[in-house]
Amino acid sequence: MTKQVSRIAFLPLFVVGALAQSSPPAPLVTPSSTYVPGVTFQTTNPNYFMPNPFYFEGRVDWNLLKITQPANPWDYMQRGLHEQDELGDTAGAIADYQMAVSMNNLANNTCQLVTVVPTGPINPPPCIFTVRLRLAGLLRDSDPTQAISLYQDVLNIDPLHLGVNAAIGEVYTTMAEAATDPATAQNLYQQAITAYQAELALSPVTPLQTQVTGDTANNAHVHWSLAEIYAKLGQSANEMSELNLYLQATKWHSDTYVWHIQLAKKRLAAADRARRSTH
Amino acid sequence: MRTTLVSCLPLLAVIGLPLFAQRPVGGLTESAFKDQPYQKPQNCLPCHQRQFDEMRTSVKSGYRSVSPLFNGLETSGNFLNGGLLRPVYADSTKTTTDATGKVIPFNTNMFTTRDYVNVNQVRAGFCFSCHNGPIERNGDNPAAREVPELAGTGPNFVPELFRPLRDYHFVDASGNQVLPATIGGDPPPGATPSIGANAIHCDICHNIGGADLSRSLQADGIGNNSVLFNHTVEKVGPFLQPVAVKGDFHVASNNPEKIAFLRSSAFCNACHDVRVPTALPGDLQHFENDVNAGGQNVTYYRLENLSTEWQLGAYNSTNNPFGKVIRCQDCHMSNFPYGGNSTYTVGDLNITSPTPAQFFTNYAAVPGGVSTEQNFPLQQRKVVNHHFTGVDVPLLYTSELQARVDPTYPDAYQPGVDEYGIPLALAQRRQDLLDAAVRISLAKTDTTAKLGQIFTVRAECVALTGHRFPAGFSQERTGYIQLSVTDDNGFLLYQSGYVVDKPHPETGELQPDGNLSDEDNEHIHAVVDPGNHNRDPTKPYPNGSTANAGHTNQVFEAGPDDGSDARLFFGFNEGLVLFRNELTRIALPGQGIGRTDASGKAIVVTKPHYEETFSAALANTVDNFRSLQPLVPHTYSYDITLPTQAELAELGITSIKAPLHVHAQINYEHFPPLFVRFLIRTTGPNGPSGHDLGLLSEQRLDDLLKSLPALATADTTVNVQE
Repeated sequence: MTKQVSRIAFLPLFVVGALAQSSPPAPLVTPSSTYVPGVTFQTTNPNYFMPNPFYFEGRVDWNLLKITQPANPWDYMQRGLHEQDELGDTAGAIADYQMAVSMNNLANNTCQLVTVVPTGPINPPPCIFTVRLRLAGLLRDSDPTQAISLYQDVLNIDPLHLGVNAAIGEVYTTMAEAATDPATAQNLYQQAITAYQAELALSPVTPLQTQVTGDTANNAHVHWSLAEIYAKLGQSANEMSELNLYLQATKWHSDTYVWHIQLAKKRLAAADRARRSTH
Repeated sequence: MRTTLVSCLPLLAVIGLPLFAQRPVGGLTESAFKDQPYQKPQNCLPCHQRQFDEMRTSVKSGYRSVSPLFNGLETSGNFLNGGLLRPVYADSTKTTTDATGKVIPFNTNMFTTRDYVNVNQVRAGFCFSCHNGPIERNGDNPAAREVPELAGTGPNFVPELFRPLRDYHFVDASGNQVLPATIGGDPPPGATPSIGANAIHCDICHNIGGADLSRSLQADGIGNNSVLFNHTVEKVGPFLQPVAVKGDFHVASNNPEKIAFLRSSAFCNACHDVRVPTALPGDLQHFENDVNAGGQNVTYYRLENLSTEWQLGAYNSTNNPFGKVIRCQDCHMSNFPYGGNSTYTVGDLNITSPTPAQFFTNYAAVPGGVSTEQNFPLQQRKVVNHHFTGVDVPLLYTSELQARVDPTYPDAYQPGVDEYGIPLALAQRRQDLLDAAVRISLAKTDTTAKLGQIFTVRAECVALTGHRFPAGFSQERTGYIQLSVTDDNGFLLYQSGYVVDKPHPETGELQPDGNLSDEDNEHIHAVVDPGNHNRDPTKPYPNGSTANAGHTNQVFEAGPDDGSDARLFFGFNEGLVLFRNELTRIALPGQGIGRTDASGKAIVVTKPHYEETFSAALANTVDNFRSLQPLVPHTYSYDITLPTQAELAELGITSIKAPLHVHAQINYEHFPPLFVRFLIRTTGPNGPSGHDLGLLSEQRLDDLLKSLPALATADTTVNVQE
């Protein structure tokens, strides 16, 4: 009751004030009579991306995409990601990734390498790298040559993409380990070394880096892998050099396989003992 | 009562006329009540002591405006784009263009623009518009303006004169604005906080008028403070038929639509999506623009995506463990997580976790004749609390908060509990809230491993939140799995999600300091360029001899625990499981990436190059799907190779001792230290301003950035076959 009195008392004041305005302010927008808090929402699915011009190079949770039947390479890639990551369906993932690659392919002019700044949609659209990396990862054991080809496709799309050269190095190493012919193995190891060195070249340790971080080496796993290859090739000096760089790279960053650090130190110590005994 | 009002009518009418005449046009709703300036929260305290006390322990109120991180982030964005994030006002003489290319006045900001036609209208006051929208709107009246318009922006920007927003939030005893003696300096002697220092406080939320569809880029009232605000005595509370307020200090709204809006998640959604204006073509991986008329050139990317996550999630339905819509208020304004537990199943995980939507019964205002007209008796009813507990604790010392916001501002780590047993300490409530947010299981891990071979650990995680985990500023908020595998003697066979105590020469920490909360995960190593002030002031900003505006990565390389990219892009089951979304900069052909090759030559890309950026202002796309989807379990595998017998022999170990012990825990950090260090440097004496803006330091980071380990844990054992 008191409340009602209060509001009624204010009404004349409001009317006076409102009339006094020469140009009464309009509301920004008249809320729609259909607006319902928590219900009113944009009409399109914000989780389904419209390329601009690049496809989304990531994984959207499959249930959020509301795709009933894949219709383009990105849809197939997303279903493949779902199959690989959530369902453990490797065969299904490979099939969908292959379909995606076939629909986004330089060979049939369904994708392009972007070499100038795009200002909007381009035709054909840019080549997708995620699907090629994923497919390569699943083909490494069964078809390593195809895997390397896919990795190289990614380097054509983005030559600076970290980890791709290292992945190529890993595949060549696996191929070398499986080779029965020593010369073939040696050649494959050499290609692995080349790939790993290309990886290192993408993130060189510059004086500025040392200044701001204190690091004198990086890419610990690459140095570890190179050391292992050199050990197999009997190139002890190179092996020890890489182990030294591995220890520098892990000085402030440790390692997932932290026992590798102890192993590196043991191997360096053993090599040092051998060198001393020789001299 | 009637007598008092009637007698006041002539006076109020006289006062009211100039108020109406000066009323700014943007962002207002229509309210059939008289204008009233925004009030400091202390003015609400006499009748709403409980709410005031609760609110003061939140970061939303007060801290949000003086936060060194918020101020540093806003400052850094301005350093990159030349001050475009600062507001313009009604008296601005600047111009911009509409979608047709027509030159139009540029005199409205993100909060006061009625219909966006140019991306710069969204940029203007972009941060300030959410953190202090109605106060920004007041700025259309020069006498009430707190944050000035910059005289020079873009190429005319002068970083040396740039002040952090919080410099403007002081007044003297007469209510006139006073500034720190030096840019970024201490509060002026004798100064008190301005109304803007209070950020989101009582009079912001309780002045709401409804959703502002034309200022929401998808015309749905979501994001970027797309709310209509009253500027009147009408205060919107949660109850219909409220009683009259003593002395008519305000009128308690009885408008059912406004009350329903306040009680809904839509109210929170209006701010808790943040869509960053990005010049055409916009987000390079996801085209979205303003769908309102004339907004076709107003493109953006999604920074905070929390409200969209909730809107499309299980909590905005009855298809969740609680069988009803769970609103934002049900977790962040209830007694959650202190109101008892529920047990339910998500996928194959059995969950016990706190129950949302539990509310205490209390008075909405102080009873006993304090708050109601004619001592009208109040009834007790279910009430919300105003703790607004989230994932942050202040990066300010308590003494600083007291100097800048309120002399009674409480310590975020204070002891004790309130009348309901809820911790008074924000830090403890943050811990408890986050403890309720996520669960982990190792039940699907291989049961047997062999020397020299791979075995697989499977960590199944689920978020129990109404949005993804983490949410909000989810490109920096960080959750991750820390995992270790040891043998029965404690020999460490594998680790992920670890941190290493190390020096940080870039911010003056020359030796490891024993603090692990200031260390980043080891999936990448990155250092962000802070820019510098070595510029030629006669040339357009930021050009000059060696000057640059920074924000690119000076260092960016894969670390030994590189799981985030290895898992997402390569599909490898190795390395860090990181629940953190990612800001990305796609460098386009011809653009530099801010680093040099081994020969010292600047790297300029020839093909598009994707790279994580820690600058929201530099990003031109974003991945908001690396965080953990709510109520959908996800299993992360670790393919772990055990050492061979020969390797063990080299190490001097006869064999590993079974069983293996696998331990996993989910940790949380509110900001990655490298991100804070970027802001330390860019707002420091070597940054673009050329002087220390007094915001962040390595010492502050060490003292106040506190990571939270073990929100959830799981353990299992694995047999070993030799």
